[in-house]
Amino acid sequence: MFYIKTKKQYLIRLALLAMPLAGLTSCEKDFLEAIPETSISDANAFDTPDRIETLVNGLYLSAKSGTFLGGRYQIYNDIRAEEFINRSPNNVTGYDIWQHTSNSNNTYLSNMWTQGYLTINRVNLFLDGLEKNKEKIDSELYAQYQAEAKFIRALSYFSLVQIFATPYTQDNGASPGLPLRLQPETSSANNGLARSSVAKVYEQILKDLNEAEAGLPDTQGSALLNTTRAHKNSAIALKTRVNLVKGDYAGVITEGNKIVSATAPFTAPTGVKHALQADITSVFKAPYTTAESIFSVPMAATNAPGTQNQLGYYFNAGNLEYYLNPNEPGIYADPQWAAEDDRKTKLTANYDGIGRHLTKFSGVSPYTDFVPIIRYAEVLLNLAEAEARVGDQGRSLALLEAVHHRSDADYDFGDLSQQELIDAILTERRIELIAEGFRANDIVRTGQPIRSQGAGTDIAPTDPRYIFPIPVSEVNNNPDL
Amino acid sequence: MRKLLLMSFVMVLALLQQAYAQSRTVTGTVTDQGTSQGLPGVAVIVKGTTVGTTTGADGTYSITVPEGGNTLVFRFIGYQNLEKTIGNASVVNAALATDDKMLSEVIVTGYATQTREEFTGAAATVGGDVIKDRPVQSFAQALTGRAAGVNIVQPNGLLNNPPVIRIRGINSISLSSFPLVVVDGIPISTDDASANSATNNPLGDINPSDIESIDILKDAASSSIYGSRAANGVLLITTKRGKQGKAKVTYDGWVSSNSAVRLPELLNAQQYIDHKNGAIANALKLNPKAVPASQLGEGNKSFFPNYNADGSMVDTDWYDEVYRTALSHNHSLTVSGGTDKTSYYFSAGFTDQEGFLKANDFERRSGRFNLSHQATDWMKLSANVNYNNTLNNAPNSGSAPGAAFNSSGLGRIAVAMSPNLAPRRADGSYNINPERNNTIDNGNNLIPTSWANPLPLIDLDKNSSETSRIIANLAADLTLAKGLTFRSSYSWDRGNTENIQFWNPYQGDGWNYNGYAYNNNAKRNNWNLVNTLQFQKSINDLHNFTVLVGSDVQKTRVENWGAVRQDLSDPFFTQFQGQFGINVAGGNGITQRAYEAYLGSVNYNFGGRYFISANYRRDGNSALAPEKRWGDFGGASVGWTISEEEFFKNSSVADIVTNFRLKGSWGRVGNGNLPSAYGAYTTYGAGLYGEASALSFSQAGNNELQWETSNQTNIGLDLGVLNNRISFEANYYHNDIDNLILYAPQAPSKGIPGNEILINVGSMYNKGFEFAINAVPVDNGNFTWSTNLNLTLNKNEVTSLANNNAPIIGSTGGLESANITTVGESVGSIYVVRTAGVNPDNGRRIFINKAGEEVQYLHHSGWTYLDGRPAKAVSSADAQVYGSSLPKWYGGFSNTLKYGNFDMNLMFTYSGGNYIYNGSQAGLRDQRVWNNSTDVLRAWTTPGQQTDIPLAVWGDNVSNGSSFPIDANVQKGDFLRLQTATLGYRLPNLFGNSGISSVRVYAQVDNAFLITKYKGVDPEISTNGNSNTAPGVERNTIPQGRAFTFGVNVGF
Repeated sequence: MFYIKTKKQYLIRLALLAMPLAGLTSCEKDFLEAIPETSISDANAFDTPDRIETLVNGLYLSAKSGTFLGGRYQIYNDIRAEEFINRSPNNVTGYDIWQHTSNSNNTYLSNMWTQGYLTINRVNLFLDGLEKNKEKIDSELYAQYQAEAKFIRALSYFSLVQIFATPYTQDNGASPGLPLRLQPETSSANNGLARSSVAKVYEQILKDLNEAEAGLPDTQGSALLNTTRAHKNSAIALKTRVNLVKGDYAGVITEGNKIVSATAPFTAPTGVKHALQADITSVFKAPYTTAESIFSVPMAATNAPGTQNQLGYYFNAGNLEYYLNPNEPGIYADPQWAAEDDRKTKLTANYDGIGRHLTKFSGVSPYTDFVPIIRYAEVLLNLAEAEARVGDQGRSLALLEAVHHRSDADYDFGDLSQQELIDAILTERRIELIAEGFRANDIVRTGQPIRSQGAGTDIAPTDPRYIFPIPVSEVNNNPDL
Repeated sequence: MRKLLLMSFVMVLALLQQAYAQSRTVTGTVTDQGTSQGLPGVAVIVKGTTVGTTTGADGTYSITVPEGGNTLVFRFIGYQNLEKTIGNASVVNAALATDDKMLSEVIVTGYATQTREEFTGAAATVGGDVIKDRPVQSFAQALTGRAAGVNIVQPNGLLNNPPVIRIRGINSISLSSFPLVVVDGIPISTDDASANSATNNPLGDINPSDIESIDILKDAASSSIYGSRAANGVLLITTKRGKQGKAKVTYDGWVSSNSAVRLPELLNAQQYIDHKNGAIANALKLNPKAVPASQLGEGNKSFFPNYNADGSMVDTDWYDEVYRTALSHNHSLTVSGGTDKTSYYFSAGFTDQEGFLKANDFERRSGRFNLSHQATDWMKLSANVNYNNTLNNAPNSGSAPGAAFNSSGLGRIAVAMSPNLAPRRADGSYNINPERNNTIDNGNNLIPTSWANPLPLIDLDKNSSETSRIIANLAADLTLAKGLTFRSSYSWDRGNTENIQFWNPYQGDGWNYNGYAYNNNAKRNNWNLVNTLQFQKSINDLHNFTVLVGSDVQKTRVENWGAVRQDLSDPFFTQFQGQFGINVAGGNGITQRAYEAYLGSVNYNFGGRYFISANYRRDGNSALAPEKRWGDFGGASVGWTISEEEFFKNSSVADIVTNFRLKGSWGRVGNGNLPSAYGAYTTYGAGLYGEASALSFSQAGNNELQWETSNQTNIGLDLGVLNNRISFEANYYHNDIDNLILYAPQAPSKGIPGNEILINVGSMYNKGFEFAINAVPVDNGNFTWSTNLNLTLNKNEVTSLANNNAPIIGSTGGLESANITTVGESVGSIYVVRTAGVNPDNGRRIFINKAGEEVQYLHHSGWTYLDGRPAKAVSSADAQVYGSSLPKWYGGFSNTLKYGNFDMNLMFTYSGGNYIYNGSQAGLRDQRVWNNSTDVLRAWTTPGQQTDIPLAVWGDNVSNGSSFPIDANVQKGDFLRLQTATLGYRLPNLFGNSGISSVRVYAQVDNAFLITKYKGVDPEISTNGNSNTAPGVERNTIPQGRAFTFGVNVGF
């Protein structure tokens, strides 16, 4: 009896023991399987045509980051020289850029470089993945997506090479340019890559843009998409700028003529019908999608530029980090920018106790102004400058007047010598394109000194401050640089 | 450990019940020597027999002593055993002395307990009594200096800011170096649970007064049973259990006052005005455009006095506006007790603490119920349930990790705000810029300050992080056969954290958004199932075996969701729930981790002299690459207790040396605390391009990601002298860490998101010595002095890194880089540009560039060699390794003195051998609009002047280290601190029949004094929190506080 009781007891004990063990073995085989639930694995990124299109949008999104072309790139180009006065001494909002005391450790320049190359790698990865999944979409879309990707890659390289390398015009691109990354990178290999020459980088940019031009559609189908995604004329327009920066004025004219009629009123004869808007302010107002905006990056409350990257935060009442330099050599004091000019009366305002500032971009959170990257007005000025330098002076003046008279109809340029015409066009760029990221790039391509207000001195092309240093994170991790 | 003791005690009692009656009867009362109170439940045994009984509720007993029995043994948990000769007496009273060593007698080693004698690894035990009366938020803050090898730093005075805990040095680079924390068996999350500026340390969810003991496992032999989780050491928290006897009720309470100490001395209004105008004059000489004409007033000055309504000059001490004398109080009530079968412990706690930073508060409400019950003679059940609610409130202090450069950080505003501006207008309203502008009103200053008025930030902004959490555990112990036990334990840690943020539309972070609210909810579900089977066998009392096998599975899932709202429709609304114009998703995410392990260990000892143990664990971790998930870990240790050898016992040395043993261990443990749960996957993240859906390459995964392992060696010596009145422990350790999982920096031009990939590359080591002495130098009944001194010497060195040993730069607040991790140096070494003082000829700071040349800087003029030739600009690219930021030696020195009813404890901590980058000093000497420390009054003015402060030039952010870190702001971190000084008095027993059995009152000072040459607010500081790669930095944080506490401990 005792024996039996004991046995029963042991049976109960063993039964109890079995419970948690059963619980354990019931742990599924994939107990250790933890797969990301809020992001998509690379294995599935190209699964459907819809998803491939979102990948294309992702490339644009990458370029439009507020740290790159969605704000800071433009801001840094505008505050380096003579047009603006810093109001708050804060390095986060470019005080050291304004003062020219920044160095290779500058977080924001490093972010710009990083975001530019991240965009480039995303393009490279996309092109690679698209090639492997081309059967999933029709051939037209395949060609279009490829072309859009190349447009973005060209824009990214072009943006970086202008600020981080010796200007092409200084030595015809013989100086070291950028590491030219064209292969997708997803592993820890290939950190080392030497800089290609500036000329090689421009060669790649133009190659991409030529291929983009060939593959892009005439139109993206709606005013919004024609502004926020590339079409044929976007690639051509960007080529006018690239050639201008290279000093290839004939090239500017060749490309410009594809999208600018021979005589006023100047419009694009094919593709999206680009033209100047009668009222310049309409370009900077919602919906931001006039035919003048060849390429802009969109903003929305749910897709804002990010803290301290917003154009309106810097230049408008947002935080008024920079106001207009009211004195020589600032453009605000230039006689070509007359008091009655719309761009003065409608796009600047007075701020009590501080002075004149730009109102081109809204100064109110969440700063959803689209950020213009290419405007038709710029294309006209690109073409005007090229015509002035190597072509038809009359057409040049007509192009200049088209831009200027739109905002100041009564202004008379008078009789201009070739040099005066060129100077007037360069001045017009400062007025028309202010706060759109052209100033420093225009200075360095023309080899002028940077008349820095922050440094209190002129910075000559031979000065190391003339271009930005390659970020220290690249120097430390790229042994072949 | 108490559990095991209790169990053995229960077994003893069972044996006693079999005793048979005999002739003589002896009676008596057993009391506590300290309180003279009767002790219930004391075992009274006739020595040499199995005859025994227990004392009753009042401590009395009656025992029948068999013939030949002439000694009584009195035993009670927590007290020293006492033997008394009976002789012819019929009444034998006994007064038992508490046994302070008792806690260290048993060590919790992962899945079992071992006695100190059996234990051959390296571990330390800290009793809960040193924790419960301290004015802290989490127990970890009270551990500072208590155990050799354990270094704990509270980052600053922000309440419930997670402490930095390092056991035997920094043991990883990209992975957390925080030890594993196990509460009553379940590993719990230790990451800050907050999504805003109110820090929320999950360890603060545990009421410190519920803690019975903390075991700290330091070497592989002791920790490798935790395998993959143990590379940084393990903290095992055991909560209190009831003791057999009638219900015991205690109340502990304290009130505490806390205030900021060692704040830097700043310029007053007049000094500020004079200094800034002087700097402007110097700048205008160099660059007439240095200050725009619109910002220059009379005499080319920009700063002018402002006046109060009564005509006096405004001279604001911003410290008064930002800091306060804080009051805190804490209450804890416990009821505990038990029978021979059931024991229980119930506690309720409430703490309401204020920080010395205004609007910084901490509240915790907690309840715990621990129960264990011997259901049958072969089954014991135990359950612990702990519910708590913790509320953290803090303004933006700029003192949480990553927040150093927050422009609304109050720690920074308090020092940088112009003292000639008033906080309020005459009508009492906030003095804010009347223009639509996010700063204080600039008054008569022509150059605007960049700082917001801190008052609305303190009053109107809200940042809170509130956790409601239940930690529950249910366990069963089954005795299957003699010596064979099975234990199954299921634990559940379920928490919800609600993070609430509201920024006002008037001033500060919310101004630009016209009001901003961000709410986030995090649901954490964490469960753990452990099953172990243990077999214990002793053969002839000579061969003692313990074999353990088991399994351990754990799964943690965290789901976050939230939203951001901006642009208030009406300033009436001050909550997320109000009306806003813009709604954006924010703070969403899902993370899941799973661990699965199988383990086994064998312990064998021969006659209590020779010890050998081995353990093995196979570990799986979901955060590693699918093919590399499983790892094998284990360790072995040996011990030799020489003092148990006959030859030793027979020698004359044995009269003095009562315990002498040598021990050694080796083991391999893994580190699976991956920063990402999904590092193996290459992923694409979703976003919006304008309003169109977008998908972008967002993470470069590594499908080869495998375990980071460390090989740990420990060699130790235990020595007990004079009947163990003095005990000494020494350990040498060497932790070799291999296959470091690194966020390997990638060339940014590769376009890898974040410029980093998690890969196994790199190695480093920590090695050092630990010494601990416990002694009772004086014990003459009335007066005792017991002391504990511990010292740790640690050396850390990185031996290889990724990408051809490319160094890893540590970042402070994303804006400054003063740390480097590079081969041949310790992790996160200080990395700054060298300087060579101030040139007496012209007042310019002399910098040393990478080529070793001396180059001087003048703002608005530029860089020149000392002979005036132009020089290339010096930048952070010229930085050099300055020295280690990790302490090379540290420890604690605790003294407890008791005299009659008085007790006193003095706890000193010390540390040193490290350097601290005092970045706050760079800000305090910055020549922009910010206020300065009085250091700038030493600024160079005349040729030939010897000084350490350069010529003051308006706008100069280079010469004093704001632009890039310089060695002029690096200082030694050596210090000695009187961490706590406590004086207690136990009231004489005058309570009669009131039911109160004991009352102790005490007064305590925390951070009583600090001896250091460090010039910042505190040498124990960590602006970057728990960061491995950027330690030893002080940047814009609030200081530490000094607290005065009065408390009472009442027993019923």
